[in-house]
Amino acid sequence: MYLVANIDQSICAATSCKLCTQYCPEANTIQYDNEAGKDKGFKYGAAYVAVDRCKGCAQCVWVCDNMAKHHAIKMEMIDQIGDAALTENITYHDKNTKAVLASPLKG
Amino acid sequence: MSLDYVKFTPGFGKFMPKEYRDMVEHGPFGKKTSVSQVGTFKEILEEHPMCAGCAMTLFIRLAIISFPNPEDTITVGTAGCGRLAISQAAIPFVYGNYGDQNGVASGLSRGLRLRFGDRPKDVVVMAGDGGTADIGFAQTLHSWFRKEKFTTIMLDNEVYGNTGGQESGMTNKNQVLKMAPLGKKFEKMDMLGMAKVAGCAYVATVVPNNPRRVESVIKKAVLIAREIGPTYIQAYTSCNIEYAIPTDKVMEDAKEVENDRYKFSEYITDEAKQYLGELYGYKEYLPKPAAAVAKS
Repeated sequence: MYLVANIDQSICAATSCKLCTQYCPEANTIQYDNEAGKDKGFKYGAAYVAVDRCKGCAQCVWVCDNMAKHHAIKMEMIDQIGDAALTENITYHDKNTKAVLASPLKG
Repeated sequence: MSLDYVKFTPGFGKFMPKEYRDMVEHGPFGKKTSVSQVGTFKEILEEHPMCAGCAMTLFIRLAIISFPNPEDTITVGTAGCGRLAISQAAIPFVYGNYGDQNGVASGLSRGLRLRFGDRPKDVVVMAGDGGTADIGFAQTLHSWFRKEKFTTIMLDNEVYGNTGGQESGMTNKNQVLKMAPLGKKFEKMDMLGMAKVAGCAYVATVVPNNPRRVESVIKKAVLIAREIGPTYIQAYTSCNIEYAIPTDKVMEDAKEVENDRYKFSEYITDEAKQYLGELYGYKEYLPKPAAAVAKS
């Protein structure tokens, strides 16, 4: 098993800084859902990780902890994450993306 | 070399991989996308074999997002780490033999101007410090002296990272590396100074820990290279393997190096300022109104 980044969307949706999406060295990996958290009263959405593309470098963790100071991203073993986004479950819309979360190991 | 070359034949869409369909339908081609929107559209860079946490990858990703017209851009590269990612983007990539990437780009740029006339087709060279300043040094400088209109980007990781850690001309003095155990004996080459002397219209240094700045610098360089002359960007893109930087500290290192010896600098000729101001609405380069001048 290996580590991948996992974003706590309840913390992320409260600030919606989008820094991690800009600092990830992998393309199409940290995605953004403009609708996330709206059911909880947040306005600007939250980021999530396509775990099948994540190489586990943890740059986003440093950026979230030290630049944004939101502490929303943790490195977790991929088999310890209940549901996560996988590239095949991500749908692109006009200026937004949506993911149906599924078990990263079972798909 | 147009939006159409990525589109699939009607009826074949369902047989294409999801990534390809997403790229055609929700990619940045023909749209104005920016770094701040990243994560909400399909990027044209795909999965690549570069090391986890590589700052060079981050810079390449940001650069490709920042191209003003990705559907009308050709990248040219050479041996080195960078080409592993640049070649995985959905824009044409030409692989020059080691060192001749600026020669290849010169011909390409001239040919495209003959073929397409006024329609801008951007040529962007992205090569490492070895390809630009050591092995390709002559061709790089000569393309600048000839005022070839394309952008040269040096991915400066200050080492030959792909071959085990030999010193390059851009390595700092006294730096000890795996294949330079006694430390480098000479100073880092002043490529910025040489670019200015050779007649580049725009010269900038940038570090990828400021994505918006990377975007701004790339856009200006590509736009200026369309009409005015050669442009040069030198980007610090650390090699976390050869310099033993833990991957989660890569941005911390970038920040330290930026504050220390890789400060952001920008040189732009008056002609390029006027061109950007008048054609592309860069207000900071437009002449100030008479009232504002009198006030200051």
